[in-house]
Amino acid sequence: MTDQGATHDRSARRMTDQEILARWNEEPGPLLPVLHAFHARDGYLSEDAIRAVSQGLRIPLADLYGTITFYHHFARVPGGLDCPRVCTGPVCVQEGALGLLRELAPEGATGMPCSGRCDDPVPVLRGHLTLAGRSAAELVARPAPLPPPALDGAAECVFRTIREPGHATLPGYRRDGGYEGLACAVREMTPTQVIEAIDRSGLAGRGGAGFPTGRKWRAVAEADGTPKSIVCNADEGEPGCFKDRALMDYDPHAVIEGMIASGYATGAHRGFIYLRYEYPETEDILAEAIREAEDAGILGPSVMGSGFAFDLHIRRGAGAYICGEETSLLNSMEGKHPFPRNRPPFPVTHGFEDLPTVVNNVETLASVPHILALGAEWYAGLGMNGHAGTKVISLSGDILRPGNYEVPMGFPLERLLYDWAGGPSEGRTIQAVTMAGLSGGFLAGDDLFVTLDEPAIRARKSFLGAGGIMVFDDSRDMVEVAHAAMEFFAHESCGKCFPCRIGTQRLTERLAGEAGPDAVVAWVDEVADIGYTMKETSACGLGTAAPLITESLMRYFPEAVSRHVTARGALPMAGRGSGGPHGTEP
Amino acid sequence: MSTNGTGPTIVLDGEKVAFTPGETVYEAATRHGKDIPTLCYDPRLEPFGGCRLCVVEVEGARAPVASCTARCQAGMEVRTRSARVEVHRRTLMEMLASENREVDVDELTSLASQEMTELVDRYEARTGRFQGRKSGASRPDDPNPFIMRDYDNCISCYRCVRVCAEQEGDYAISVKGRGFDTQITVEFDGHLKESACTFCGQCVHTCPTGALGDLKALAHREVPGDTKKTRTVCPYCGVGCSVDLLTRGNQLIGVHPAMDGPANLGALCVKGQFAFDFVQHPDRLAHPLVRGEDGELHEAGWDEALDRAAEGFLRVRERYGRHAVYGVASGRAPHEAAYTMQKFIRGGFGTNHIDNCSRA
Amino acid sequence: MSNPLADMEKPDVIFCIGTNMTECHPVAATRLKRALARGAKMIVADPRKIGLAEIADIHLPIRVGSDVSLLLAMAHVIAREGLVNQAFIDERTAHGEDFMKHVESYTPEWASGICECDPEDIEQAALLYGGADRGAIYYTVGVTEHICGVDNVQSLCNLALMTGNLGREGTGVNPMRGQNNIQGAGDAGALPNNYPGFQAVTDPAHQEKFRRAYGRKVDLETGMTKVTALDLCGDGIHAMIIDGENTLVTDPDRHHCEHALKSLDCLVVIDIFMTETAKVADVVFPATAWAETDGVCTNTERRVQRLRAAVPPPGEAKPDWWILTQLARRMGWQGFDFGSAREVFNELCALSPLYNGLDWDRIDLGEYQWPVPTRDHPGTPRLHEERFENGRGIFKMLEYRDPEETVSDEFPMWLTTGRRLPQYHTRTQTGRSSGIDYLLAEETLEVHPDDIARLGLEDGGWAEMSNPRGCLHVKVRATAKSPRGTVFASFAFEDVPVNVLTGGGYDPVTQTAALKACPVALKPVGPPPALGQTGGDIGLGRL
Repeated sequence: MTDQGATHDRSARRMTDQEILARWNEEPGPLLPVLHAFHARDGYLSEDAIRAVSQGLRIPLADLYGTITFYHHFARVPGGLDCPRVCTGPVCVQEGALGLLRELAPEGATGMPCSGRCDDPVPVLRGHLTLAGRSAAELVARPAPLPPPALDGAAECVFRTIREPGHATLPGYRRDGGYEGLACAVREMTPTQVIEAIDRSGLAGRGGAGFPTGRKWRAVAEADGTPKSIVCNADEGEPGCFKDRALMDYDPHAVIEGMIASGYATGAHRGFIYLRYEYPETEDILAEAIREAEDAGILGPSVMGSGFAFDLHIRRGAGAYICGEETSLLNSMEGKHPFPRNRPPFPVTHGFEDLPTVVNNVETLASVPHILALGAEWYAGLGMNGHAGTKVISLSGDILRPGNYEVPMGFPLERLLYDWAGGPSEGRTIQAVTMAGLSGGFLAGDDLFVTLDEPAIRARKSFLGAGGIMVFDDSRDMVEVAHAAMEFFAHESCGKCFPCRIGTQRLTERLAGEAGPDAVVAWVDEVADIGYTMKETSACGLGTAAPLITESLMRYFPEAVSRHVTARGALPMAGRGSGGPHGTEP
Repeated sequence: MSTNGTGPTIVLDGEKVAFTPGETVYEAATRHGKDIPTLCYDPRLEPFGGCRLCVVEVEGARAPVASCTARCQAGMEVRTRSARVEVHRRTLMEMLASENREVDVDELTSLASQEMTELVDRYEARTGRFQGRKSGASRPDDPNPFIMRDYDNCISCYRCVRVCAEQEGDYAISVKGRGFDTQITVEFDGHLKESACTFCGQCVHTCPTGALGDLKALAHREVPGDTKKTRTVCPYCGVGCSVDLLTRGNQLIGVHPAMDGPANLGALCVKGQFAFDFVQHPDRLAHPLVRGEDGELHEAGWDEALDRAAEGFLRVRERYGRHAVYGVASGRAPHEAAYTMQKFIRGGFGTNHIDNCSRA
Repeated sequence: MSNPLADMEKPDVIFCIGTNMTECHPVAATRLKRALARGAKMIVADPRKIGLAEIADIHLPIRVGSDVSLLLAMAHVIAREGLVNQAFIDERTAHGEDFMKHVESYTPEWASGICECDPEDIEQAALLYGGADRGAIYYTVGVTEHICGVDNVQSLCNLALMTGNLGREGTGVNPMRGQNNIQGAGDAGALPNNYPGFQAVTDPAHQEKFRRAYGRKVDLETGMTKVTALDLCGDGIHAMIIDGENTLVTDPDRHHCEHALKSLDCLVVIDIFMTETAKVADVVFPATAWAETDGVCTNTERRVQRLRAAVPPPGEAKPDWWILTQLARRMGWQGFDFGSAREVFNELCALSPLYNGLDWDRIDLGEYQWPVPTRDHPGTPRLHEERFENGRGIFKMLEYRDPEETVSDEFPMWLTTGRRLPQYHTRTQTGRSSGIDYLLAEETLEVHPDDIARLGLEDGGWAEMSNPRGCLHVKVRATAKSPRGTVFASFAFEDVPVNVLTGGGYDPVTQTAALKACPVALKPVGPPPALGQTGGDIGLGRL
């Protein structure tokens, strides 16, 4: 049986310690659901609760305590859960988040890193409710925006049917052709044929790594060890990325269908959606969709009567960017300290509980039903200039029409910015954009004429990644933007490897003007040396990507850097002090 | 050191060398005499891959790889000291030097306490570059008499956390927070005594920076003379853990676990690690004692005491026979004591009236 | 131990009984914890919820002294469920068939009425151990310090024999020795029944061998045990020489001990401190201590290792062997010309078949585990691999027996005793090591909270604990670590001399004292008049 809804289920509020523990003890990956249940029941994680969990799940107390402190959102003081958390991501800061934070300070508000609503700022989490607005008076609970309509009649994949009314329900999804691909797969195709279709489609990981999906599935299908797992990486933590939220909110069944297909193809009978903490409404939507699918016999002991069994569980994160890294995510699901694992071995052979595991991004999985229904060749043909398929871009910042756009792979960035999204506001010019949320650093100048595909963007020392693009117009101080970005990386660095743990801190201090040489040459040397070693020796993508911020800043904006260094000492950098906008833990 | 066998090989700094399947690049390289720097490695623990100092260049790999976690693959070409990796190592050591209060710590701090200092010097990393906030917050408030918790000197290698979990199985300490604010802690940030800590000292002796220190040894830092080590076996339970006694002159100043001790492989408990100074306690008996006419025990010379004891035994034998004498050997003294005791009873009195303390 | 310490990381199923290993053998326990981390399962039988029980898969909180009933029932389940290793039984044991019949009636339900464990838990434990490919048993004095100590050990052997869990990696029946050289004291012949190397004194061939070596004939009769000797002090035994043992405090029935030692004509004590026992001696010799003495010791896995001197002894203290040698010479005896520890050890090696292949130089790195019968022998990490020393492994048909004294209306609580991690024995050493008192500065009696309420005691208050042998006052600590009806104290602290109470009999074979099960009465009392100056007539205050 599945276990939906209980992570912030109000019914947990009436459960005893023992009931909560008994509820989850036999489930895979029980720690996070148990902690969330205590958190929801008590409004914070008390010392007694932590002791009870330690005993009940037999996790050493010190380990458990350390692991809890790793997550941003577990409150440790009474009432902490209900204190507002204000998004202080790069876009929201430009949209007045710091003022809102001050306004809500009397209620115990704290900051939180980008919470994935850059197309509708500023999101504020209050308990399990997301509000949005630029001031306290404006704050209102409303659904997150639908993707804007496709322009120029562009062919879409994952957004093809997403805007149809009622599409998020099972009847609506079926009306729009949903589950037909899966029905065909489980009834008429062998698992190998499913994998071959995915191979032919050219579908590759849409979370940023771009690994060919068919190859990943084949590796899991061929790996020894059961039970195997399908994990949907829905820990969309990259600042400026909010596409997975839109997909799950408005097309949850597509994600479920993709996961079942992946399970069928690989021989996995259990799936997990690892959902970021900051999407509580999304959890309800997913839970409801899973219930519908179970009731309809789509999930469960015999998927659509095929005899293939598949169960699906939601595991809610608790606020840690690094958990979007797949091995950290797996450790987090297992209840371990969410450091990234050393690779190899890779999750395809040693994933969840050290068993073969597919970890795919939401967008990747949501593409699968369309490929199964309309054909691999159809999907492959959606791209431009020889690139396969589409990519959802989360576009936000200084742009007239922010939102999620599904573009053909290889689409010109300029057309997206100006033709589709309306360009910057009147009288402004676009100074720079970020790539891959923040991880790809900045593109500016002539490089804004790049096409949206990995080879083109990598040639400009950046990468497309998960497809978050934040726009900064000419009113923005790029050193300040870079500082905020680096501060985010420092805040989210897990602390496992030295170059990232120290490097993100030192770069933040230098961008804040708090430390570092006063001479420009020496400053640039230090920043470049730190960046070089971080890029080459960090243990995971966070540490290797973070220096792209300083690298691109120095490449595109050398004069701003010179001014910043020269001003240090003469002009203390107000507002760039330590502590940062994400503030202390709740 | 080349190989002529048929087993798998890698090319290590231009030389073909054998490896055993499953061996990491670090293990193979170390076995073949390479001195690869590392600060998060302890051979008793699972490879962690945190410090990244052990990165090597592998032909075909885009970036250097951590040799402690990378397994050897046949035909792999590895460069352990290329200019590229040496640059990174130096930068990393400069970064480490920038986050700690000090680089130089007393050698009595712990077994591994000089590891970071040595690497800072090897990479000439006392450049003062990368200055900024220091990491870690020391816990001078912890009143325990054994383990110094000077986290101002911590570099977050987590050897302490890992040795406590993997080697000792106590899971008493863990990592709080993340990133630069990472802090080694026990549950709810308390004192070690209130935690699951058993004061085995394993964390202290794997700490490569002196952030954790042996307070009992450090109390002797003013004792003059060179520190000498003598290998022996712990005096408490029957496990037989090997230890190295630290002495300066005639003074016993500390105990180090012996990593190559066959029974313990470096593990110790609180008694073996810290309960050694009874040896030079003023209560020690230093002279023979003989009960006087007054019924009290008085100091005596060896001759007098031995004569008195011998007379006592002879008198009893004379009056009650040789079966009236009994010998009790100690389970705490060496073989030579027990053997001589039984020989004393058997070879002397011709009886088997000899036992040891194992029955109680 | 039948198996090496390294094997403790190898079992699939670990069965610990009567061993508080995390406190008494902490470094050995780390190996079990590594086995658990690897996925091994663990059964712990102990009245108390000790550290091992906390991490066990099954904890069997047996009533003190009821081990045989539990082990018979486990054998019953293993036999009933066909989990026996018939090939092993056929090839290497005797009386297997009789044993299977013998255990037919000893069901878990039957045992439950005695050992007070849930029959389902007994069943599960038996299935777990019986189903293991590699099952290993570990025990300590919680098994042996009973009137049925030998029966307990033989019951464990029965389990290992019926499942074939002997002579292989990760198996065995493994006693954990509690003192650094208690194994070595036996090896060296400090036993009433054995010459060095466990050569029986009753064998004329051994008598002849040692006659030639020592130049005199030794009795063919086994000597008396120390327990008997203490009973006969002043009435058959009139002189005693005691090396490094605080007999007065560590042995049961302290008042009896004190009386015994005081009735000797001549008591000679060799020690490093002025112990309570040394205080009643006629002559006290100061010995060199650990870290001052060159020598040899043998650990619990029969590993022969070197002790090395690093500092000079205080004053005129001398090695024990030197003292005994000098004394022997004053007695006018031959054969005591040793000039060094090396010479003593090499003589032992020459006379012990277990050590024949060893000498002082060969044990420098401690890589040998006895038996090492010849120079070219690699040592024996694991016993019984091919065969048992004495032919076949013999099943013993055992019955459960009650302890000599059992709880009654008058003495309704079981007292059981043991050690605590930071302190060792009577604290002669740990009590003189700085800082240890920070971890444990006083003794407390562990009592279940329900018993605290029932007996009118108070957590943190004081209790008078008594039985016909004696009476003492002790601070009370409420803890569910103790089961209802059983209380625990260590014998470490002079001001809580629990051995004034113990002494309810001995194992008839080994004469090991029943220190683990002792009925007592408890009643609340006020705090002692001057806290911190306790001790009074029985001692010296805190060492």
